[in-house]
Amino acid sequence: MKKIRNDSLREEIYNQKLDNGINLFYFPKKGFTKKYAIFTTNYGSTDNKFVPLGEDKPVELPEGIAHFLEHKLFEEPDEDLFQKFSSQGAYVNAYTNFNQTSYLFYSTDNFYKNLKLLVNFVQSPFLTEENIEKEKGIIAQEIQMYQDNPKWVVFFNTLKAMYYSHPVRTDIAGTVESINKISKDDLETAYKTFYNPGNMVLFVVGDLDSEEIVKTVNSAGKDYADKLDDVERIVQNEPDDVLLKSIEERMLTSKPLFHIGIKDNELNLTGRDAVKKDIITNIILDMLFTNSSEFYNELYSDGLVDSSFGAYFTGKKTYGHSLIAGQSDNPQEVYDRIRRMFKKSDKYITEEAFLRIKRKEIGGFLTGFNSVEFIANNLTDLYFQDFLLIDYLDVLNEIKFDDILKRFNSHFREDRSVISIIWPELETGKN
Amino acid sequence: MESQRKEIGNGVSINLTYTDKFKSNYLGIYIIRPLEREEVTLNSLLPMVLDRGTINYPSTLLMERRLENLFGANLKISASRRGERQIIRVSMEWADGRYTGEEGLDKDVLEMVKEVLFDPYTEEGLFSKTYIEQEKKNLKTRINNKINNKRSYSINRCIEEMCKGEKFSIYPSGYVEDVDGIDEKILYDHYRNILLKSQIEIVYTGHDNKMNLEELMPEEILNRESIKYVPREVIIEKSQNKNQVREKMQVNQGKLVLGYRTGIRYEDSLYNGLLLGNEIFGGGPNSILFRNIREKHSLAYYVTSNIVKHKSIVLLDAGIEYNNYQKTVDLINEALQDMVKGNFSDEDIEIAKKSVRTSSESIIDNPQMVSEFVFGKIIANDDRSLEEMIKQLEDVTRKDVIDAMKTVNLDTIYFMYGPNREVQNEKNKK
Repeated sequence: MKKIRNDSLREEIYNQKLDNGINLFYFPKKGFTKKYAIFTTNYGSTDNKFVPLGEDKPVELPEGIAHFLEHKLFEEPDEDLFQKFSSQGAYVNAYTNFNQTSYLFYSTDNFYKNLKLLVNFVQSPFLTEENIEKEKGIIAQEIQMYQDNPKWVVFFNTLKAMYYSHPVRTDIAGTVESINKISKDDLETAYKTFYNPGNMVLFVVGDLDSEEIVKTVNSAGKDYADKLDDVERIVQNEPDDVLLKSIEERMLTSKPLFHIGIKDNELNLTGRDAVKKDIITNIILDMLFTNSSEFYNELYSDGLVDSSFGAYFTGKKTYGHSLIAGQSDNPQEVYDRIRRMFKKSDKYITEEAFLRIKRKEIGGFLTGFNSVEFIANNLTDLYFQDFLLIDYLDVLNEIKFDDILKRFNSHFREDRSVISIIWPELETGKN
Repeated sequence: MESQRKEIGNGVSINLTYTDKFKSNYLGIYIIRPLEREEVTLNSLLPMVLDRGTINYPSTLLMERRLENLFGANLKISASRRGERQIIRVSMEWADGRYTGEEGLDKDVLEMVKEVLFDPYTEEGLFSKTYIEQEKKNLKTRINNKINNKRSYSINRCIEEMCKGEKFSIYPSGYVEDVDGIDEKILYDHYRNILLKSQIEIVYTGHDNKMNLEELMPEEILNRESIKYVPREVIIEKSQNKNQVREKMQVNQGKLVLGYRTGIRYEDSLYNGLLLGNEIFGGGPNSILFRNIREKHSLAYYVTSNIVKHKSIVLLDAGIEYNNYQKTVDLINEALQDMVKGNFSDEDIEIAKKSVRTSSESIIDNPQMVSEFVFGKIIANDDRSLEEMIKQLEDVTRKDVIDAMKTVNLDTIYFMYGPNREVQNEKNKK
């Protein structure tokens, strides 16, 4: 395997693209008992319009299909996968987000057997009309669980207000209606396109032997006749401005919840540039909204926000947004103050604050390396943006105060911001 | 990973676990209080006030800036329920100097922890009135927020109903109606009182930086006269209520919680049988409940059961359609009967053993989890090593599991449901 080392982090990572098409990475973590593997396809809820492998016309599939497929891959004709993993001492799970579907397990022994099982089950779907119908009931419960969670609803309403048509505005699991439309054909079309090894990556973290890992994945991986480099995904042209300035709803909650969203328009970046933009924006948000900032402390002292207040930026190639979230009896006042601050920020955007937050980021990143999950999950996420996690500290270190000022002026704009509020029910609903 | 324990004063001990495998170090100071209505709200408010400032960093802003300069050292002050105890914990996790390139920060970190706990910001010898009033308001919000998470709300409601009259039913965040009576003097007196009377445990996990942790404790803490230790919980052996509580709320999904009593204490040898029995019954995706309720009947997305170790209680919860209530309860009852009759395979036992073993072994990969494990052993008066615990689990037999599950008796069912939407949909279909 090819070795890539980062000296400041004192860590290294090994990579090899195997003959069966699987791109394999191994991150050694000496002395750790827990061993972790995560097999990921670059396929999430935002990818439901695409050109299927071997065809030339785009299709559009029902919302929630990536997540549905994730559930279904756990189905095997003759064995219970959960039981099989458990009997080999492993804990198996999976998740779907906007951009990827990941299958993972961790174990303390029998690692290679479990690794083989992971690759095998992800590469061998077993779909029947009957087991698809059965899953609809389970997923409907999952969707309803989220619909009762005011934090989830306030978040998705923000995306619905910011975006006109970008699929990031639709719920990851879809709706009860959309999942009921999902057919066996739909699932097969999605599977054959996105689960081609050319669209996937496998990360392994732990105290392991690299040759044994390669041998295992080589023997487990299926041969694919159709090799694929990239899937053509159709994303409609999304306007720069926002669809709605505000969105409100009533739910069973104790206090009004709010999210303020700021839509990004510096898009289509990859690799170092994308990661750098991400870090810069998050540093700015920390300078403004974390509890070491004067702005936060003003809002807090005036009783407008509490310690649940916070902000982060997230983005991929075709979308990006900053989200400022909290609860308040007067969300509109919080929003007004934030917008006023955007115009007069000298007091908050200082070099001293920047250097301080940068130190915090370094410590936080290092602490993350205690966790095999942190390493593997972040490696995966950044891999699909063409970036290797172990170079993260170097990018962080090269950021200058000028970068902060420039990004602040371009991104933090009132005209690209929205507010989403969940008000408590008029009646608490108790009777 | 070996831990050493040393008593450094009356009721104060240090627990050290040295290792080089982490990039950060973790220090926790645990103050052990009884879970009681008289002080639960005070204990819950105290961390929020301590978080507002120290003698040298008299505001949240200055404290946070100090922590950021210590490479984002992560300070957490919390109060939480552990059985019928309330644990006030001040903890710090910080990146080790070998990686940040600035060694010698450990002393500054210790200084900060010490200040937060023993030298809070005061005005005329009491907590700041302004801070107290702000945090009282925030605490009320926090308590009222329990409804936002319907799942944990339902579990707490079940405990409340099931353990009426027992200390365990006390809501760990406190009570809104008890907040108003608190002022800067009452809380400060309480703070002094708990420092002088409680058992205190210092737990460190990380690189051996040759720090003298004894210096964390001021003289007056090392030389305390009388310590009030919190007694072992009262265990009610038999289920008493067979209660059914239903509450209607504005929700889409019904939340079902079943509370059982077992009477098996964690000190009993049969407790390991209960641990494995619960794992087989509803511990994870390989459990009987998951296979039946979710995979076979597609009634729920989540269905799990958990043991409340210190109270010998089992709590089972699931999110379901309202009109599937009876069907789900019947299937759960059947599944429990199957356990009692021994209708589970030897493989189920092996799987449960492996599952518990994997999660036990993973503890040593995280400095906070190591510290919590060490602390958990102290309050359970358990001096076994992790290896011994795992070994004893391996020895559990089928008979142990059945005997343990025979003691699991239903006590209370709590059900949260909403407007009758689904029934209408069913009608429309027809």
